[in-house]
Amino acid sequence: MLLRCEYHVDSDLRFLSNLDMMHLMERALRRAHIPYALSEGFNPHLKMSLGTVLPVGLWGQKEYFDLELRIPMDPEIFKNNLNEHLPPTMGLNRVAIIDSHSPALMKVINSAAYCFVIDAPADRLEELSQRLLKASELIVRSRGKKKDQNKDLRAGIFKIEVNQNQEFVIMELWVSTGEPVNVRYDELIELLEHNGIAPGSLKDVYRSGNYIYHDAAFNTPLEKVK
Amino acid sequence: MKDRLFREVLPRVSKPARYTGGEVNMIIKDWDKADVKMVFAFPDVYEIGMSHIGGKILYGLVNERTPHLMERCFAPWPDMEAVMREQAVPLYSLESFRPLTDFDVVGFSMQYELSITNVLNMLDLAGIPLTSRERNAEHPLIVAGGPVAFNPEPFADYFDAFQIGDGEDLLPELLDVISRNRGASRATLLLALSGIAGVYVPMLYEPSYSSDGTIQEIKPRGEGIPARVRKRVVKSLDEAYYPEKPIVPYMTIVHDRAVLEVMRGCQRGCRFCQAGMVYRPLRERSLETLRKQAQAQLYSTGYEEISLASLSTLDYSGVDSLVHELVKEYGSQGIGVSLPSLRVDAFSIDLANEVQKVRKTTLTLAPEAGSQRMRDIINKNVSEEQLLEAAQAAFKSGWLAIKLYFMIGLPYEAEEDLDAILELLKKVKEVGSRFSRRPVEIRASIACFVPKAHTPFQWQPMNSPEELETKRRYMTRYRQKNIKLSFHDNRVSFLEGVIARGDRRLGPVIYKAWQLGCKFDGWSEYFDYGRWQEAFRQCGIDPNFYTTRERSRTEIFPWDIIDTGVGRAYLWRESEKAKDIALTDDCRANSCTGCGICPRFAVGLDLPDAGLVASQRPVFIMDEEQVD
Ligand code: SF4
Repeated sequence: MLLRCEYHVDSDLRFLSNLDMMHLMERALRRAHIPYALSEGFNPHLKMSLGTVLPVGLWGQKEYFDLELRIPMDPEIFKNNLNEHLPPTMGLNRVAIIDSHSPALMKVINSAAYCFVIDAPADRLEELSQRLLKASELIVRSRGKKKDQNKDLRAGIFKIEVNQNQEFVIMELWVSTGEPVNVRYDELIELLEHNGIAPGSLKDVYRSGNYIYHDAAFNTPLEKVK
Repeated sequence: MKDRLFREVLPRVSKPARYTGGEVNMIIKDWDKADVKMVFAFPDVYEIGMSHIGGKILYGLVNERTPHLMERCFAPWPDMEAVMREQAVPLYSLESFRPLTDFDVVGFSMQYELSITNVLNMLDLAGIPLTSRERNAEHPLIVAGGPVAFNPEPFADYFDAFQIGDGEDLLPELLDVISRNRGASRATLLLALSGIAGVYVPMLYEPSYSSDGTIQEIKPRGEGIPARVRKRVVKSLDEAYYPEKPIVPYMTIVHDRAVLEVMRGCQRGCRFCQAGMVYRPLRERSLETLRKQAQAQLYSTGYEEISLASLSTLDYSGVDSLVHELVKEYGSQGIGVSLPSLRVDAFSIDLANEVQKVRKTTLTLAPEAGSQRMRDIINKNVSEEQLLEAAQAAFKSGWLAIKLYFMIGLPYEAEEDLDAILELLKKVKEVGSRFSRRPVEIRASIACFVPKAHTPFQWQPMNSPEELETKRRYMTRYRQKNIKLSFHDNRVSFLEGVIARGDRRLGPVIYKAWQLGCKFDGWSEYFDYGRWQEAFRQCGIDPNFYTTRERSRTEIFPWDIIDTGVGRAYLWRESEKAKDIALTDDCRANSCTGCGICPRFAVGLDLPDAGLVASQRPVFIMDEEQVD
């Protein structure tokens, strides 16, 4: 049985690497006595696949993994059991049974939303987002492949929203994580800096979600499995 | 503090997960309800400190079994240190993010001589005066324990008290005494501490020196202060506390697995080995206890691997059944068993095969010396035949690389002994070519022998860095295909040698070295011999006095103040036997060889599963000279 799980990682765990996170999950699964399936062969390992890697330094509200179970389990019971054994600083939001032939998360997720918590007036950020969306190109230094070459992010920025929270303003950017361009959060920080957001006024950054972007709609991997 | 760390400090440093705490099974006790507050300080990075078994024991013990509390702190890597200094962030504990100055006690775990510069650096980062003399009741009490404390004298300036030997009973007693002396002056507290068996308070002793620089006497400074401090021994390891819910770090650490301490001590009597002498007698845990501890640890941690730790795990009475049971019980869940140290024989290889069905990459064996003559001198009871049999068994069952540990600079060493290492490597390779289907790789890790306190070789001169360098060059004068030699830095070994048998006069040198910027001296990227040389020069101390000098039979050693239970007469006898190339038996396999600890400390080998317990032990040999 294949389960798709949506989880959150709080700010306290933002410095964990992807490998650390895998270990954390595996160990929690063992502590919770979850009947996970093991791969065949001499060196069996968990059949778990994570969605796109959460960058070190960021926390996340809606991250995903798929896990295969050896013995079927009620998703609610699974969620509650595992949550009891995860650190209080992370947990499963939702779990659903999915078709065991569903395409992998890595294949379907093509978009992410990043939130930048900024100490600046909301109207100024509102104006900035309009400007960014109207620009014909948005050049930054590439942090991914082709390191340090110029990279145009424009085609990869789908949507921007600006919301006031208690203290600061949250600027949320929906971006592409595959075609036409893979937009990284650190490249977005550079873009904001180019546009007058001083590093000191950037209070926090997190990933608010991962999506399947299709026909101008953002669906979570739980809403749209195939 | 925490918020600032997470926002402003940690994003700027490498491996920030070292500094966040909050791991699974971390214990945060109520600060206001806890009695004595102690922080366990490890003078190296998190991933090394968290791998250390003694720390896990004490952390669980204090927090679960006593009214006191213990939190943790590790040495920040230099990048973190720089940001902390720049931002004026004091050294803090990982549980409650409190500065170290909030604690009553800071307890350093001293596993390695050269971590002392990190101790100084950590105290400085915490804003605590470095020397015992400068501290008073306003400051935390600074204590140390661990193997290095068996020669505490070089560090006498910096620690208020040392804990000698097993900490399971000692540490709670120490914390109780601190609690009872709350509000007392530092002098009163130190006096009270010196009354605890196993506690050495250096300030209460006064050394005097002869004209040749050797020690004349180390005298207690008053009535009622013990002339010698006896190490503490846990009589029954089986009944001793062991943590069932150890912390599971988020980041990968050096030993990232559940661990069972199957036994403590070693009775083989290798003459170079300090641990083998100071942790006597041998005590084992019963299979039943280990079974329970394995289950509890695996369930509470979710680890994918469990390791059987001790000085010589293959000597554990129940090793065969334990390994088979663990593999049977947990193998199907994808949980592996690991054996950190193998004995040089075919049985060990069989057992290694049992736990390592795949991924047979590198097997590690430690013959320590190349010639039979030298192995007899050091009392390493291994024959060439056994080693080649082990190699054959390993290659036959699919291992492709063997790593062998050797030492150079051993007592009475001649060129033939160095040749013998190379010949032995060649023979192992030949066995590999004959019995393995694929080309094999032989790696030798070659350490420099450092004579240690409380061992039969404590009288031996150490080779100078120049001599060691000549030996290295000699051994590398030609290359052999598929045999790789790697040598320890002989300057690091030399410095270890200075401190290992050093005395109080090294205190200022250590201070100077730290001032000159020495830290992380065990890390090759930070070790700076030039700075140490400068420190010796400025303090007018000749390091060779502690290393290359011959010592006479009757010389009083700085570490004589510590009574490990193993008598000096026995050590001397062993030293003479080394000269005569004579072996001494294993006191478990055969009869007591008279090291003295069992009769003197009223303890015994404790082997619950070998049908042999302390009370049934036959008569012990006792030396007249050893009775004090
Ligand atoms: S006193 Fe005898 S039996 Fe006890 S540890 Fe020493 S040699 Fe072994």
